[in-house]
Amino acid sequence: MDFDDTPDEAAWRSEVRSFIEEHRDRLGRRSNGREPDQAVARERQALLYDGGLVGITWPVEAGGRGGTPMQQAIVDQELARAEVPGLINLIGIGMCGPTVIHHGSDDQRARYLRRLLRAEDVWCQLFSEPASGSDLAALRTRAVRTEDGSWRVSGQKVWTTLAHVADYGILLTRTDPDVAKHRGLTMFVVDMKAPGVTVRPLRQMSGGADFNEVFFDDVVIPDEERLGEVGDGWRVALTTLMSERLSLGGGGTDIGAGPDAVAAHVAAHLDGLDEGRQSLVRQELGRAYVASLANRYTGYRLLSKISKGEMPGPEASAGKLSGTKVARDLADLAVRVLGDEAAYGATADGAHGWQDLQAGLPGMAIAGGTNEVLRNIIGERVLGLPAEPRADKGITFAESLKGSLA
Amino acid sequence: MNFDLDDEQRDLAAAARDFLSDVASPGAARTALDDGADVAPGRAALAKSGFATITVPEEAGGGGGSVLDLAVVAEQAGRVLAGPSLVTYARAAVLLAGDARLAALADGSLAVAVVDGSAPVLDAVGADTFLARRGDDVLVGGGTVTRREPIDPTRGLGDVALGDDLTVVAGDAALRWQHAERVGRVVLAAEGLGTASRALEIGVEYAQQRQAFGRAIGSYQAVKHALVDVYVQVEQLRSLVWWAAWAADQAPEELPLAAAAAKAAAATALEQAAETLIQVHGGIGFTWEHDAHLFWRRAKVDRLLLGDDVAAYDEVARLAMAGAR
Repeated sequence: MDFDDTPDEAAWRSEVRSFIEEHRDRLGRRSNGREPDQAVARERQALLYDGGLVGITWPVEAGGRGGTPMQQAIVDQELARAEVPGLINLIGIGMCGPTVIHHGSDDQRARYLRRLLRAEDVWCQLFSEPASGSDLAALRTRAVRTEDGSWRVSGQKVWTTLAHVADYGILLTRTDPDVAKHRGLTMFVVDMKAPGVTVRPLRQMSGGADFNEVFFDDVVIPDEERLGEVGDGWRVALTTLMSERLSLGGGGTDIGAGPDAVAAHVAAHLDGLDEGRQSLVRQELGRAYVASLANRYTGYRLLSKISKGEMPGPEASAGKLSGTKVARDLADLAVRVLGDEAAYGATADGAHGWQDLQAGLPGMAIAGGTNEVLRNIIGERVLGLPAEPRADKGITFAESLKGSLA
Repeated sequence: MNFDLDDEQRDLAAAARDFLSDVASPGAARTALDDGADVAPGRAALAKSGFATITVPEEAGGGGGSVLDLAVVAEQAGRVLAGPSLVTYARAAVLLAGDARLAALADGSLAVAVVDGSAPVLDAVGADTFLARRGDDVLVGGGTVTRREPIDPTRGLGDVALGDDLTVVAGDAALRWQHAERVGRVVLAAEGLGTASRALEIGVEYAQQRQAFGRAIGSYQAVKHALVDVYVQVEQLRSLVWWAAWAADQAPEELPLAAAAAKAAAATALEQAAETLIQVHGGIGFTWEHDAHLFWRRAKVDRLLLGDDVAAYDEVARLAMAGAR
């Protein structure tokens, strides 16, 4: 047992580190809150791609490096350590791109993938709808084939990260309502600038606006932009979701501010509290800190598997579940130790980083798989507990709609 | 990064599991509770197996192994509610290091317990030799044990009045005592890991079989999610136990934080595992005849040993703040 890099990993880490040092100024630094300038963010990703640090695990013929998940994890660690802002096309790289790689035509792969890796095009994922969140297969956006073979799409997507800046999206639609809900779906690549696509930013409870509503009004999509077979959209979407789980998968990185930043902040405020309260605050900090250590070292177990070439299984879902919880506990504590000032959105000196973080974290327990869905995955696929019966099993999507309206 | 057990440690775990599941069980814990029977497997069998004294150097007749090796065994001991605790052996091995009596610990002729001030003494029942601290000295000698009404008889708790024949083993108590306590916390957490993980298994098996309203209760999210929360805690505890044991062997500067974190997490995870076990079983879960309360008894006692969970969380917070300033 050890926590050291293998010789290959160490060599790769030092290569990554020297690239970051060499381009330190152009890479910029993470700033709290405000959305970075889109053009700057695209330039940053192009710089990293040209340096060989984007698309590590993608195949070489797709413009990637053909490397290992461990090499990707090392890049992630080093970029985080150097406080380089996250890649603008994270969703494209983690989810949309792999879907095009697996299910796209040669022509689509040639047109899209390299531009995606360099952030010449930004991508979004158009899955969730107002009436289908966790129950994704119940989506209603319709795609109807026209006489010339192209498709006309109408409907609404929601909670779509980056849609307001995206050039393309992968779009899951219903092409046949008269079969079971999972069977009537078809996936497309959609041009976000096409006529009939309307994007409306959604303001979140934290005040930020990374999410959007996207409306499709008779948007025409050529058949060449279909990903996979007609009616095979659910299987195609599973490729996307598997990739999502891997790209969000723990690895021991902290969600939110990190336990040491909170411990330092609490330490700075502790003397201002009376003694009884100090010991209560230490209990809360101790509990959250232990939970965050536990999360970190569990992530290291996952990384060790990856380092040996094994793929993480459904147990990796636990990392997001517990990481989100501890991030919320830490942020709540950080705000609480502000005393009376905790009742305001900013302290008297104008600082509001902890308050913003606190308001941003409830969404983390929902986006990318709710706590409840993650618990079902672990319960059924790790512990072997039976699934819940489904009321829409064995009937067509159209029939299930009648049931839900009744 | 290679944060995982190696093949030898997996083999060790399998061997310990074979041995311990033959000689200890919740059934034996029940007999200790009902009839005041001795704990199983007991000192003689534990010493003979060699598992308890893995961390004693080979020249003193021990296994010459690491704290991580002992933690791997302790997890298996926890699964079957074995006693006496490997914590007692782990602490004694540190406190007696360099002393001739270490060989007597390894050959089973020394029935030892470790006394922390006036706190209830783990494995006092059946002990004839006591290790204690006075100022800078580690002392050893006889004492009188008062047995009290037990919650968990497998822990052998008692009040100990030290005799007046104590002799000095070592004069570096400040460091040695603290180190022994931290190693003890790691091993306690490892036993807790085994107990919690076995409690989870029993709960999952029942939830798969028991039917209510026409389906297995494990299909209901309320039951399923409770068990999943225990699973997540157990796996996270496993990570902390491995880290803390590794730190005891390889990174002494990380041991204070790691040992306190493991101790605290074990207390919390085991309580949640035991209470979920009872809840999932419904009516049968709180009967005397079901084993669930034997796990619950372990949880309610273990959280108080080697400093309680409140003290351990407080220590983590203090160390975290000192490290982050």
